[in-house]
Amino acid sequence: MWDRKRGLPTPVGAERVGGRHAQFRVSGVIIPAVQLAFFVLAVVVALGARRFLRGYPRSSHDYQRLRPREIALLRAATDAMFPARGAIPVSGADVDAPRYVDTWFELLHPAKRFQIRLLLLFFEHATLFFWAPGAGGWRRFSALSLQQRIEVLRAWYASGWFVRRLVFTALRSVLGIAYLGHPATMRHLRVAPYAFDSPVLDPDVLYPPIGQGPDAIRYRPEDRTPPASGVPIDLSGPVHPDYEDSPL
Amino acid sequence: MSVRLHSAAELSQMQDRLRVFAQYDADVHESADVVVVGSGPAGAVVAYELAAAGRDVILVEEGPPFIPSEFELEGGLSMARTMRESGLRMTAGSIMPTMQANCLGGGSLVNSAICVRPPAEVFEEWSDRFQLENTSREGLEPHYDVVGDFLGIAPTPDAVQGPRNLLFRDGCKKLGISSEPIARNVRGCRGSGECFTGCRNRAKQSMDISYIPEALHHGARVFTSVQVQQVRWDGRRVSGVEGQVVEPLTGRLSHRVRFDGRFVVLAAGCMATPVLLQRSGDLANRSGQVGENLQFHPGVAVAGVFPEAIDVQFGATQGYQSLEFLDRGFKLESLWAPPAVSAVRTPGFGHELLEHFAEIPRTAVWDAICSTHRSLGTVRARWGRSMDPALRWRLHPDDVPVLREALHAVARLFFAAGAERILPGVNSLPAVMDSEDQARALLSDRVQGRDVVTGGNHAFCTTRMHGDPEQGVVDELGRCHDMDNLYIADTGIFPRCPSVNPMYTAMVLARRQAHSLLERL
Repeated sequence: MWDRKRGLPTPVGAERVGGRHAQFRVSGVIIPAVQLAFFVLAVVVALGARRFLRGYPRSSHDYQRLRPREIALLRAATDAMFPARGAIPVSGADVDAPRYVDTWFELLHPAKRFQIRLLLLFFEHATLFFWAPGAGGWRRFSALSLQQRIEVLRAWYASGWFVRRLVFTALRSVLGIAYLGHPATMRHLRVAPYAFDSPVLDPDVLYPPIGQGPDAIRYRPEDRTPPASGVPIDLSGPVHPDYEDSPL
Repeated sequence: MSVRLHSAAELSQMQDRLRVFAQYDADVHESADVVVVGSGPAGAVVAYELAAAGRDVILVEEGPPFIPSEFELEGGLSMARTMRESGLRMTAGSIMPTMQANCLGGGSLVNSAICVRPPAEVFEEWSDRFQLENTSREGLEPHYDVVGDFLGIAPTPDAVQGPRNLLFRDGCKKLGISSEPIARNVRGCRGSGECFTGCRNRAKQSMDISYIPEALHHGARVFTSVQVQQVRWDGRRVSGVEGQVVEPLTGRLSHRVRFDGRFVVLAAGCMATPVLLQRSGDLANRSGQVGENLQFHPGVAVAGVFPEAIDVQFGATQGYQSLEFLDRGFKLESLWAPPAVSAVRTPGFGHELLEHFAEIPRTAVWDAICSTHRSLGTVRARWGRSMDPALRWRLHPDDVPVLREALHAVARLFFAAGAERILPGVNSLPAVMDSEDQARALLSDRVQGRDVVTGGNHAFCTTRMHGDPEQGVVDELGRCHDMDNLYIADTGIFPRCPSVNPMYTAMVLARRQAHSLLERL
């Protein structure tokens, strides 16, 4: 309610009363407007802080970039996006999406990292505007039940509003690279990189590892090998060691 | 020319001419006959040709060199390491992802090595519309031949095609449309399908293992991890460039760098060169065309699910193509990308999404690159000190039918090749189609531009060449109309999109430009 005359809002449940300074009567108690405004503001800040900051579990992992609220959102969304007992025996919960995204964040351009952070924050709290069905549907996304999260994702995916679908696609892309980039998923889908030795050519004697000087060059001229043979790789051969051993 | 092995003494000299990030401990000030900015296909060719002719050349690159042990095999992380803006660059207007590499060798390190000579009609059109009297396919043939020999450009052999490329060929045969193995700058490909994340086989002749080592051998000095921020100029003459050392992967700037040169060649890419000119006081822009006319080959892709597993990862990343529909505005290609990258087009979520993912072992992805001549955009310097561009591009409604027809052609190809169903990735249509009849919907008006997931492959025209100085930034030899000794040598100088993959033509134009420049040195 907006008090046009005084330019002050009249809180719900309050009644404006006369006097030298603006005052309101709340449940029979007369409160000066300034104090009431501070009270309302304090309640809003407290509720906001509770919603935006409190209650996120501390992670046992040592994440470099991710914040607890981002970890919670990623876990909750991955669970719902890639459910257990699906067509692939690797679920979202199995792939530890926060771990992947944390590594990715380390490499991301600062502006892009900021944009992804905004995306995660927005999706976590978009339930303020697009409620999940059922009780407490306005709670943050990571606090919803699995069924509610699935319904939220369904609503974003099937939205008739282009921007909502775009946001969903962006989130699904982030979760998708974490899911499909996991060694267990790649092994299951038979897309894990093959193991083979790279030939050692002149450039390998010239270029040091990134960030290091020429002293760190691993190869000497005498280490050079014949170039790539053109013989197709062995499809029944082993996968790259990084994709060989993983928990699943 | 085959892969060259240099002696230990030669390699030692070459190493002395290469600077990497760890070697910068103070400000740098050097000079040369020619300073080349950007080590992608065009810049590398210019640097090599000039150095091989005995000229003193400095080649500057913002990114670091990558060695096979540093290639990230997973798509998302690989893009974050090798691409500008972590591979997440987007156009405003019509929202479309687009990419620019940030590594020694530029895009050649992470592209699929496709080398196509555009048909003669493309150059005829360029000549007619843009007053380019000496730019014809016939006139460029000798340059194509020399570059082709240097890089071992040859059609992809069947042995490393793999099923998904051969199915593309079979589909074309059944439809009676032409197809051909893609010619690539590759020697000894083993079909590992890792072109996009860096060729661990060292088979792809990217610039960092071909032209740049040879440029070093001939005396060029190569400075990596240097961000060029400004061109130094006075009146109609440039005197060099300046910038700062940039830490790989973090982008932190440190020491000041200045390179003086009698000539400067900008080959920073069609999305970076305009920014550099704008940051240099709107240099060479009397025509008002710097940063204008941005064109792409928007790529559309369809996934097709086959009855049996098709060893999707094995085979040349892109092994087959069809030029049948060039006159209709698109070119068809087979494609492989890490699932994490290509999955953005997969429909659904939850169990439905997992069902689609589970079909990846028997799913091929084929694409079409489209010539959308009416869809234009701009490149602008951003506010602040960033050298990243602000891109705006809008898909023109009159170009949407090209996308529709391209999608439909790919869909038909899949059904002809025996696919059970396709995933067209078009928002306004069913997520899955299981017959050619159903796929006819791809031609309908229901498919609007924003319904189609496009990728901004290949970018052009932001510093276009034109015979008239009022209408273009450079002449057909790449020299800026407004400046006596400033050249541009990337795909920005293309006056229109070339309808086929641009790398080969960019190198050929760069070679011609280098030889023209030699006459002035």
